Amino acid sequence: MSGFSTKAIHGSVRPEPHGTLRPPLYDNVAFEFADSREIQLAFEGRKPAHAYSRISNPTVDEFEQRIRLLSDALGVIAVSSGMAAISNVLLALGGTGTNIVATRSVFGNTYSLFEHTFKPWGLNTTYVDMSDNAAIAAAINEQTRAVFIEIITNPQLQVVDIAEIAHLAHERNVPLVLDGTLTTPYLFRSKDYGVDIEVISSTKYISGGATSVGGLILDNGIFDWKKNPKLGALAKKFGPGALMTMLRREVYRNVGACLSPHNAFLQTLGLETLSLRVDKSCANTQALAEWLQKHPKVVAVNYPGLDSSPSYSLAKRQFPRGVGGILTFELENRDQCFAFQNALKLVRRATNVNDNKTLTLHPASTIFCEYSSDEKAAMGVSDSMLRISVGIEDIEDIIEDFERGTAAI
Amino acid sequence: MNIKINGENETITSPTTVAQLLTLKNVEMPDMVSVQLGGEFVERQLFSSTTLKEGDEVDFLYFMGGGSR
Repeated sequence: MSGFSTKAIHGSVRPEPHGTLRPPLYDNVAFEFADSREIQLAFEGRKPAHAYSRISNPTVDEFEQRIRLLSDALGVIAVSSGMAAISNVLLALGGTGTNIVATRSVFGNTYSLFEHTFKPWGLNTTYVDMSDNAAIAAAINEQTRAVFIEIITNPQLQVVDIAEIAHLAHERNVPLVLDGTLTTPYLFRSKDYGVDIEVISSTKYISGGATSVGGLILDNGIFDWKKNPKLGALAKKFGPGALMTMLRREVYRNVGACLSPHNAFLQTLGLETLSLRVDKSCANTQALAEWLQKHPKVVAVNYPGLDSSPSYSLAKRQFPRGVGGILTFELENRDQCFAFQNALKLVRRATNVNDNKTLTLHPASTIFCEYSSDEKAAMGVSDSMLRISVGIEDIEDIIEDFERGTAAI
Repeated sequence: MNIKINGENETITSPTTVAQLLTLKNVEMPDMVSVQLGGEFVERQLFSSTTLKEGDEVDFLYFMGGGSR
């Protein structure tokens, strides 16, 4: 079993009591043990068993195992959202008096997490242009606990050389944390590029069409956790499993942002059709980007799959199966953007990405509304930009709706 | 030879390696277990060449979560 789709569908086959082809949904909280010794061993971590679903659950475990099989990660933990994945990882790696070095085009809610939630507790963030190796190197110091990047920044759609950043971070004994939401392990296998930790919002592509909110933490097993002051003692006992142990036995367990079994069941279903949906979404996005590029009312189009994009060559090399399902384009001003969106009948006005449905959003007035004009400008978000998350409908119908939108401006 | 396994006193045949002990004790999910010898992590590739000695303390531990089986 070597193909991505085959692994996604069959997972790691194991016997079920009733011979069910689909593992059942264990929508359950607690698990009993045969005797006192067994439950003691489970609590000590000396017996692989589920005890309480905030810590582990068979349905969630099935989802984690399939992701592990697809990514070749050392360990995977499913959490309640993509933001929970980022929070858990950075709470495990950092602390008061430490810092992370992050891309300056970081996703709006992630920026808010760093600046409004972590900063008052003494975990600071230094923002750099991740295409500037000298700036990355200069930003990393002895208190840096992670370099944090996004696979394709949203909505700037910048692609950076991930293997090179991993090399830079490792030279300075710092792990690389990647938000791989927009590619998933189908378009980009992070382990092959030296990424230490991948976090994913499985709400997006993986969930199967915005069925449920969820997140994933993947430890690729590359980083020597003895180099992290918080994890050094655990690394002596658990080797490459130190971070997974720290999460499962402390941070993840104590924060309580676990994935519900019901959501894990839905997301496992979604995972089985991931490759089909991602292929279709990427093909539709490419076709729509090319259509927009030729339209006289469109000022500019940004999609890494267009040779006009500064990220084109790198994106083609790093993501040979496709460069994702998001594009942005510019009209003359905000009024034109609003008029365009209001005229649409098929495409939905909603803040999500990688749904089965095509979605449109005006980032400046929505997900970036709490930021000043200067901050928006620094993050590459303009008033005349629309973001499109391209779904898996028939491309002719999407373009027909875009003709309706452009006719209204 | 007397050793401690998961905190319990046990008597095993000598010589025995970590790899042989995993089979001997029918350890669950042997490809996923983390082995500690005297509180220190034992690299998986050293299981077959690490021989136990009298008085050793061995622990079999699991980090649940995608690495659990």
